[in-house]
Amino acid sequence: MQKAWQKYALAGIASFVLASCDEVATLDASQTGDGSDTIELAEFPDRPYWGDTHLHTDNSVDAFGFGVRLGPEEALRFASGEEVTATTGAQAKLARPLDFLVIADHSDGLGATRRLYDAPRIGVVAQYDETLLRWYDMMHEGPEQSQLAIAELITAAANGTLPEALRDPERQAENTRDIWNTQLGLLDRYNRPGVFTAFAGFEWTRMPDGNNLHRVVMFRDGSDKTGQVVPFPGIDSTAEQLWDYMAAYAEKTGGQALAIPHNSNLSNGLMFEMTMPDGSPMTAAYAAKRAASEPVVEVTQIKGDSETHPFLSPNDEMAGFGVTGWELGNLPLTARMEPEMFAGSYVREALKRGLSLEQQLGVNPYAFGMIGATDSHTALATGDEDNFWGKHTGNELGNETRAVDAQNLGTRQGRFGWHYLAGGYAAAWARGNTRAEIFDAFARREVYATTGPRMSVRIFGGFGFTEDDWDGDWVRKGYTEGVPMGGELEDGGTAPSFIIAALKDPDGANLDRVQVVKGWLDASGELQERVYDVVWSDMENRPRTGGKVPAVGDTVNRENATYTNDIGASELRSVWTDPDYTEGERAFYYVRVLEIPTPRWTLFDAVRFGIELSEAAMADAVAQERAYTSPIWLKPSV
Amino acid sequence: MTLPGWTREPLVHFLAAGALVYALSAWSGGSSVDPASRVIDVGQDQQAQLAIQFERVMGRSPTDAELDAQIDRFVRDEVLYREALRLGLDQGDAVVRRRLVSKMDLAAAAAAESATPDEAVLRAYFSSNSERYRADISMSFDQLLFSDEAAVRVALDQLEANDSWQKTGERSALPPSMDRKSLRDVRRVFGEEFAQAILRLDQGSEWQGPVRSGFGWHAVRMREQSRATADFEAIRAQVENDWRSAEIAARKEQAFKLLRDAYRIEIDR
Repeated sequence: MQKAWQKYALAGIASFVLASCDEVATLDASQTGDGSDTIELAEFPDRPYWGDTHLHTDNSVDAFGFGVRLGPEEALRFASGEEVTATTGAQAKLARPLDFLVIADHSDGLGATRRLYDAPRIGVVAQYDETLLRWYDMMHEGPEQSQLAIAELITAAANGTLPEALRDPERQAENTRDIWNTQLGLLDRYNRPGVFTAFAGFEWTRMPDGNNLHRVVMFRDGSDKTGQVVPFPGIDSTAEQLWDYMAAYAEKTGGQALAIPHNSNLSNGLMFEMTMPDGSPMTAAYAAKRAASEPVVEVTQIKGDSETHPFLSPNDEMAGFGVTGWELGNLPLTARMEPEMFAGSYVREALKRGLSLEQQLGVNPYAFGMIGATDSHTALATGDEDNFWGKHTGNELGNETRAVDAQNLGTRQGRFGWHYLAGGYAAAWARGNTRAEIFDAFARREVYATTGPRMSVRIFGGFGFTEDDWDGDWVRKGYTEGVPMGGELEDGGTAPSFIIAALKDPDGANLDRVQVVKGWLDASGELQERVYDVVWSDMENRPRTGGKVPAVGDTVNRENATYTNDIGASELRSVWTDPDYTEGERAFYYVRVLEIPTPRWTLFDAVRFGIELSEAAMADAVAQERAYTSPIWLKPSV
Repeated sequence: MTLPGWTREPLVHFLAAGALVYALSAWSGGSSVDPASRVIDVGQDQQAQLAIQFERVMGRSPTDAELDAQIDRFVRDEVLYREALRLGLDQGDAVVRRRLVSKMDLAAAAAAESATPDEAVLRAYFSSNSERYRADISMSFDQLLFSDEAAVRVALDQLEANDSWQKTGERSALPPSMDRKSLRDVRRVFGEEFAQAILRLDQGSEWQGPVRSGFGWHAVRMREQSRATADFEAIRAQVENDWRSAEIAARKEQAFKLLRDAYRIEIDR
């Protein structure tokens, strides 16, 4: 009896503490809003701001179950460059702080596993739910059982068989509001215009039959507006309802939100369909709503890369980065990926489909920009290969065999630890580091994705740019006479030209090459794509052979996971004019920048822990990290 | 109202929290329940607690039958729980052990998480961590990129009298000028090595170098470099965040030390 009461008393103290967190800090007014008029802004976006828009903490059902015990506060401290103690005990710190962070915990059952875990067992018994009780017991049994319980939970969510207690929105609403409000207060406390931007957000986790349709929702505003809503649950809702929720938020508060789809590679073709979700022809209204709500997609993250697949892009020898393992099927691997599903699962193909749909409907539902993110479930936002803290707490840095272990998702079907990427980052070209400036860069698609390195990539599209422009203020010219990435050009009867500049990560590897990826709808109504090598390192000594640029080489030492910058270039620039322009054809152009080969996290692990990688894992332990810019679209004149 | 200094002592908070837990448990009707006792008294308080627990998870009050079922389960759990303790099943169980440890830490940290530090405490923390809060350096400079060190040295001689300095050096997408940018921004664009090096340059109209970066070698003209004194008011929230984080860690450590001092630890070497 005595101990039971101590338990209640402690729970009481803990909940009091949680409830009062948002009231304790004394905040400067500049921190609580969207950051407008708080700092001096550059005339034009002057540098890429780096961030992660997809981070989970102990408020996410699965993250907590996987073992994480770090919450939003530790997440914010880590992302802004402070050292924190990771759940498994080691000290964690970013070599370079991020500029912004979106905490995106799952809206479904926000905080539910933590509450379940903390509940007295009798409270769980009272739910009359065998599954819930079993998970409860597994979570308390130890880390491995807990991870199994969460794998079951994800499968149940995918199959629509979650226990009632975890899916009843009304029952969740009150708890969700408490956690949300606490978090909003915290975000304002850590939001420092000009230094570090903390965004409110959540992940909408819709997954029909295990096919991943997840979106991260990101808010532009401070707690005065975001506090008027709560995160929208995903399990029993449709994407259209999510967009309605976002529109209602804007209407009610005067604020703004946008949604970022991710892991289309695990959607078995459902993320970018040519039809409505029910198979009927897509309507212009649906396409318009989608376009207005989803200006950006997450193209690369820990669970693989979704740019394109060799199956879809057979002539692109650089396709196929980060697809191994993930290409097998949907998220829990309850259904295999069939050939006809590829097209709806990858971003380049979706950009092409968008042109076709725009031709039919007058509006392009898939005109999006691209970003990278982590989707880390450890509360540690890092996409750095040499500082990879794992997909979740079960494979944090202390787990020495994480690279060779089977994954908990689809284990028997062949997904292994080494299939995980270290995760990517989002770069936003903004005039300063505030909520409004960064969010608006996303909204106008002036953002790009990297698979981890922080290379600086610019592209301006227009008509009549030439190499002579480098002698003047080409950035100003780009903005005033052309459009930056994410922009649209109207076909004027001449081939568009592009100012393209890529700088290596100042503290990272050299660049191999810069490519332009063009997709277009030809006169016969067929969708086409082509990858152009525009500029590459050591061009005089590395001429094209057979139409292809030879490989850049490889300086990676497999024994000690090091590389040198003896090959590649620190900077690649070009003014490129489309040689295959045809008047009247809809097209998009985006830039892909490749680094020279560098060690992946798996090679760092192999060296650090002295483990032996399988042949397949070893072949994949060195890769050419890359950046994908948002496209520029060429539209027929009206 | 000013509270006496001792009320801010973490140790006092820890002891007070402990006393509160003890008082609650004593008040809870179990008065002097001995875990070894073979009497289980499900009093009104306990029943109300079960009803509240039910209501919290089910969203409604239990019916009489449901409450009876709750009581039966409570009794079952309590019997098995006490027997488990009697058998020492809580001993040597890693999960029980970890859970209890984290509850002790939570109790130690709880007061710090909700505390509102007063002005004096924060200012003291701010000044004793002044190095951390030195305002970021702001700077304005021009730079030119060269492919090697020697080229910078050659250029330095010619740059002095050269008005059209932007025609010198390699063509590069790096910004030739940075105006009133923080060291943080400079580091993002030019990298760590460059950012460290230019801190040592003199302010003035002279071109200096060579300065190395990941891109090559630079000549730099540091037009302006200033470090404003950190303004406590402007970063008050940040100081409070840091103070709280440090305070929680310190209280856990202090609470641990207090308890640990009652032990004699013997480690075979």
